[in-house]
Amino acid sequence: MQLKLEKKLQPSKIMLFATPILAVLLTMVLGAIIFSLLGYDGLGAVREIFLTPILNSLKWQDLAVKAAPLIIIGIGLSIGFRANVWNIGAEGQYIVGGLAATGVALLTHEMSGWWLLPLMAIAGMAGGMAWVFIPALLRTKLKVSEILTTLMLTYVAVQLLNFLIFGPWKSPTSYGQPQTVLFNDFQILPYIIKGTIVQAGAPIAVLIALIAWVLMSKSVFGFQVKTVGSAPNAARYGGFSENKTIWITLLIGGSLAGLAGMLEVAGPFNRMVPQFPTGYGFTAIIVAFLGRLHPIGVLVAGIVLAITFVGGEVAQTTIGLPNAAVGLFQAMMLFLLLAGDVLVRYNIKRVRRAS
Amino acid sequence: MNIDLTIAIIITMVGASTPLLLAALGELVVEKSGVLNLGIEGMMLTGAVVGFAVTYTTGNPWLGIFAAAIAGASVSMIFAFLTLTLSANQVATGLALTIFGAGFSALFGQPFTGKPIALFKSIFPDSLTEHPILRVFFDYSPLVYFSLFMVFAVYWFLQKTRAGLILRAVGENDHSAHSIGYSVIGVRYGAVAFGGAMAGIGGSCFPLILTPQWVEGLTGGRGWIALALVVFAAWRPGRLLAGAYLFGLIATMELYAKAAGGSFRIIPSELWASLPYLATIIVLVLISIRHKTSSSAPACLGKPFIPN
Repeated sequence: MQLKLEKKLQPSKIMLFATPILAVLLTMVLGAIIFSLLGYDGLGAVREIFLTPILNSLKWQDLAVKAAPLIIIGIGLSIGFRANVWNIGAEGQYIVGGLAATGVALLTHEMSGWWLLPLMAIAGMAGGMAWVFIPALLRTKLKVSEILTTLMLTYVAVQLLNFLIFGPWKSPTSYGQPQTVLFNDFQILPYIIKGTIVQAGAPIAVLIALIAWVLMSKSVFGFQVKTVGSAPNAARYGGFSENKTIWITLLIGGSLAGLAGMLEVAGPFNRMVPQFPTGYGFTAIIVAFLGRLHPIGVLVAGIVLAITFVGGEVAQTTIGLPNAAVGLFQAMMLFLLLAGDVLVRYNIKRVRRAS
Repeated sequence: MNIDLTIAIIITMVGASTPLLLAALGELVVEKSGVLNLGIEGMMLTGAVVGFAVTYTTGNPWLGIFAAAIAGASVSMIFAFLTLTLSANQVATGLALTIFGAGFSALFGQPFTGKPIALFKSIFPDSLTEHPILRVFFDYSPLVYFSLFMVFAVYWFLQKTRAGLILRAVGENDHSAHSIGYSVIGVRYGAVAFGGAMAGIGGSCFPLILTPQWVEGLTGGRGWIALALVVFAAWRPGRLLAGAYLFGLIATMELYAKAAGGSFRIIPSELWASLPYLATIIVLVLISIRHKTSSSAPACLGKPFIPN
């Protein structure tokens, strides 16, 4: 017996929504089994990673903090993925965005005023765009794969970060620690809910998701991106420039990753440190896919992935589950989602092998 | 430049190139069959941690290498099932495989972190490996000779055998290959498994011939450079060898520049560390300028195959 795939005329709408939920549920079931087999408390791991962050209201503020950068970067990536533009080096754009914002913060360290944070945000977005500029140029002019160039530049960004904080930006008062000075009060994001750690990043993430939703579903640009991605020939016939689409989607992706970098460095970090590259840029790829490349989906998926991060920390302290387990759960989720994609696009038929 | 230093640089260069060469050879065969597997980094990490663990527990590096190959091939089957049987998006699935490999290796490797193993050194007698001149031929791990043999073996397989011809046909025109009775999916499964095994062995080079220990993220992005090397080599094994050694040389220069200090200090060490990645980009640019009119990539690369 063999399975035969038949392409559906229309992708199944129900499956499009159902498969991400199925993927998360299956990850919980499979995760419990696999981690039990590995000799860990499998059920406990699933409970701590997926449920504790939701049930324990004290953890909600952590969710907001972790979800914000994932959503912001994920939105940018999802717009690119829609157009078949594979920027997988968002981590590098995030780092350079953070560095550009840090640069502004250091230059204006003696100044005060409400305009400092917007200036840092603009610098962060410019930094992210600068880092994606070369891949965009090479892709549009020379057809060099953006997959490789964006990723290679991520490693360069890490070295740039090290160079700056071990060298010219190192704080004179940090006792040899490779880090910059603490930002001043006007360079740190305001807390939006008193008594919590939730800063301005969270509402900005929601706002960006809403803007992206309108942009992608109501504007000509959104239509253009989707057409270039799903029917390049039709797009060409309809007069949509592929190169222009590549440029715009990459710049959006870079600027949002850069903005996330600024919000992190001016938020939870308060200064630039070697631990700044947290892998948000890579996890955001999972967020984009789990969210079905739809802005509202990405918003939800960002929260789901944030749950696994926060839950992973919980599981580490309560049942001694290594932090790396979270990465495994996240990868499993993406695998299962991609496997589920087959249900969206194809009818599966069983056929007997002709003898 | 004196002869001792030159020989020392050559030996370091060959060692640094070997994991790249092995992983890239595997990916070359995968891509020739029309499949783009972006999970090399994940398969290399899996191979590195399993190779280390088995070598550490049994004390036998041969077993370690064998286990690394099996481990690499096993995780590559997740990719194969998703992309070939379920025709999932190859780019996304490959990325997922890399994330999976990073998570798996970090989890599996945790108990082994900081534990030492012996480097897997040359098996030739000391009179050859310590000879001032001849050591340039003999002072290498068996993995190095294996990688060179595989360059030849892959070339011979692709160009001179019937099976290699079928594999290339599947990569160039899957529907024609299918209609004359070849199993496109079967061939691709085989190619992906081979690529996984080679990436696994390549990953095991890190603990076995470069740094005799396990640390998280040991391969440091080399899997992605291996991917770029395949493009650089225009899908030819011989050129792949040259490309891998060129990158090994750049990495080696970084080490020696750091150690030498002096005039090299003008260039910050971070710039040296960035060089392999910047060089990859520059090389990709040069390739695409030269091949502007015709691409040498297999025609079906990255496209799912659905029989009619």
